[in-house]
Amino acid sequence: MERRTFVKNTGLLAGGLLLNKAGLFAKGAGRVINIGIIGCGDRGKGIMRVIDEFPEKYNIVAICDVLDMRLTEAQKFAKKHQYSQYKDHRALLKNAQLDAVIVAVPLHMHYPVAVDVLKAGKHLYLEKTMTYNVQQALDLVKLAESLPKQVVQIGHQYRYSPLYYRVKEMISKGYLGKVSQVDCRWDRNANWRRPVPDASLERQINWRMYKEYSGGLVAELLSHQIDFINWAFDTHPTEFLATGGIDVFKDGRETFDNVQVMLRYPEQNMVGNFGATCGNSRDGYLFKIKGTKGTVSLLTDKGMFYPEKAQQKEKGVVDGVTGATKITWDKDGGTPILPDATKDGTWYALNDFYDKIGSGSLPDSNIYTGAKTAICVHLANQALYKNEIVHWKKEYLVLDRDNS
Amino acid sequence: MISRTNAVKAVVLVLSMLVLNICMAWRTDCQTSVGRFEINGYAQGTTYHIVYYAHKNVILRRQTDSLLSRLDSSVSLYLPSSLICRFNQSDKGITVDEPFRVLISKALEINKATDGAVDVTVKSLVDAWGFGVKKPAAPPGDEKIKSILKNVGYDKIWLQGNFLHKKYADVQIDLNGIAQGYSADLLAALLERSHIENYVVEIGGELRIKGNKPDKEPFKIGIEAIDGNDMAPSPLRKVIAPGSGAVTTSGNYRKYVEANGKKLSHIINPQTGYPAINEMISVTVWAEDGITADGYDNGFMVMGLKKTLRFLEKRKDMAAYIIYQTDDGTVADTVTKEFKGYDIH
Repeated sequence: MERRTFVKNTGLLAGGLLLNKAGLFAKGAGRVINIGIIGCGDRGKGIMRVIDEFPEKYNIVAICDVLDMRLTEAQKFAKKHQYSQYKDHRALLKNAQLDAVIVAVPLHMHYPVAVDVLKAGKHLYLEKTMTYNVQQALDLVKLAESLPKQVVQIGHQYRYSPLYYRVKEMISKGYLGKVSQVDCRWDRNANWRRPVPDASLERQINWRMYKEYSGGLVAELLSHQIDFINWAFDTHPTEFLATGGIDVFKDGRETFDNVQVMLRYPEQNMVGNFGATCGNSRDGYLFKIKGTKGTVSLLTDKGMFYPEKAQQKEKGVVDGVTGATKITWDKDGGTPILPDATKDGTWYALNDFYDKIGSGSLPDSNIYTGAKTAICVHLANQALYKNEIVHWKKEYLVLDRDNS
Repeated sequence: MISRTNAVKAVVLVLSMLVLNICMAWRTDCQTSVGRFEINGYAQGTTYHIVYYAHKNVILRRQTDSLLSRLDSSVSLYLPSSLICRFNQSDKGITVDEPFRVLISKALEINKATDGAVDVTVKSLVDAWGFGVKKPAAPPGDEKIKSILKNVGYDKIWLQGNFLHKKYADVQIDLNGIAQGYSADLLAALLERSHIENYVVEIGGELRIKGNKPDKEPFKIGIEAIDGNDMAPSPLRKVIAPGSGAVTTSGNYRKYVEANGKKLSHIINPQTGYPAINEMISVTVWAEDGITADGYDNGFMVMGLKKTLRFLEKRKDMAAYIIYQTDDGTVADTVTKEFKGYDIH
């Protein structure tokens, strides 16, 4: 019941938002949105590079970072834009030109910065994972609901590509049959550190290494796949089992460099396995969804569908089949889900953010799906660091408190 | 827990059943001495399947694989070193091998018979519309089509012995529309050289069939549904038993590009330079050999329903099952009178 009430409510809410906002978005999406970027690390700069492709949609008017070196690096991008630079995000938010703000700061700062952005009356594109912990996720939902004029999109960008929409559709149409297992990896053979020019900046630059600031590999990488499964199946896990350690790089880091998380989705009768290591790069990104009728195997921009052998044999009543030539089936009996590779997910996500600012409707990666995933990440990390089985709690139902 | 005696009894029972099975298998083998053999492989960017009945497995997958890869090295556009790629890059033409020569001769013959609806010099148009190996960024404009059409036409290539000439350096050929049917013929010939008289060869949806199953039951062939959904295939549209010969299908339901919200067929009309737009959805052709059936099927898609039916009235050696769209948008089908074994389902 829990899931159904949530879904129903989100639907109602989305409809409500649309009605309420009809008059407030009169300018439509036909104009250039003035945008500010808080956080100019790898992700912030990556977003600036994509925004450079849409001069007709976005105009960068302000950027902010606490480190001078990051502001200097950011100057390589957005060359066509006239923007002001800030070291304090609160000063940036006073810039009256701003319509919307992209937040790409270390995880522990997501909540306080997002709150400031929303209270300043700006639309918000908040990088994933939405918040550092459960309480912040629930509080941010409340705040966003109290400010219905502002669009909030969460940066789970991979699932914005047409490939991931197609996979969601394949799942809902039953092409995979009954899905019982999900296998995900996001591996590398590297220490996951960034170069530090001055030892005093270690914690600021390599914030991913420290528990105080970061949710580690689960928050930074596996959250994308956890989020996709939540969204595609319209569900969330209720049991969280995990193990891991600092197994490869014993270099003073606190977050684990080798993790394995097992999630139980009782409504789906499904098990999710999510793993990441810094000690092997063979699999790299791996994402498999396994059903009784077939398997979907995904990269970020390409995907294959492998029907189960028993399914193929259903054609066995005939001795041969004639038809228009099939789009290449590979040697393993797979067929591409889309004929060509997609662009980077950020491209689609930022296009959609622009459209949603125009229409005022609820983004597909929204405050509710973002909160669900942030809670999953926090609970998985609790299981990982406390070495215990953690359960989804009823009080997270506050997400559908309007359902009374 | 089962008792020890029971366990022994069970073992004896299983063993005696096993012996009985072996004896029965032996008897069946002695009586009919024909077995069913299957080869499944991958070639020409698609899959192939062979089923044949024989006393033993006289044909092995490595033979069929190597036959198909020899043909690829001759006419595959996906292999940069193939003869066809060398011809396309040449200024005046090249010496071709036997399969290449056979395909070109047949293609020129079909071009004449269809008044140019089938034309192997269509490659530059296929590429421009985004159906070739390299994808262009945007659909071609009228001017581009006009300039490409200067290099398209039966008079732009000719055979002199084994030398295939081209009129201009920019003349490009594509044998994809006919080569798969011919591959099925070559596989059939390989089987027949080993005195196999009962088989079905299928490569990329094009078939060669001969004989029957051991109980005289005819081979049954499915015609695919036209939704083009490979993820969750719909039930077969028809099951036919066409007897010996070749069956190939050309359809626009699986391969198309979208431009300005319209789906454009991958079948290009070589005379206009534009994707064929008419009522045809799919045509399944029966002929004595694969090179003929496959050689004509794209042409029928270009010619449209009326012209195709008129054309086939005069031909005893070919037949077609056609799926098309009616004026009110519904899907209908029709079959020509020479099509054998059509009414089994």
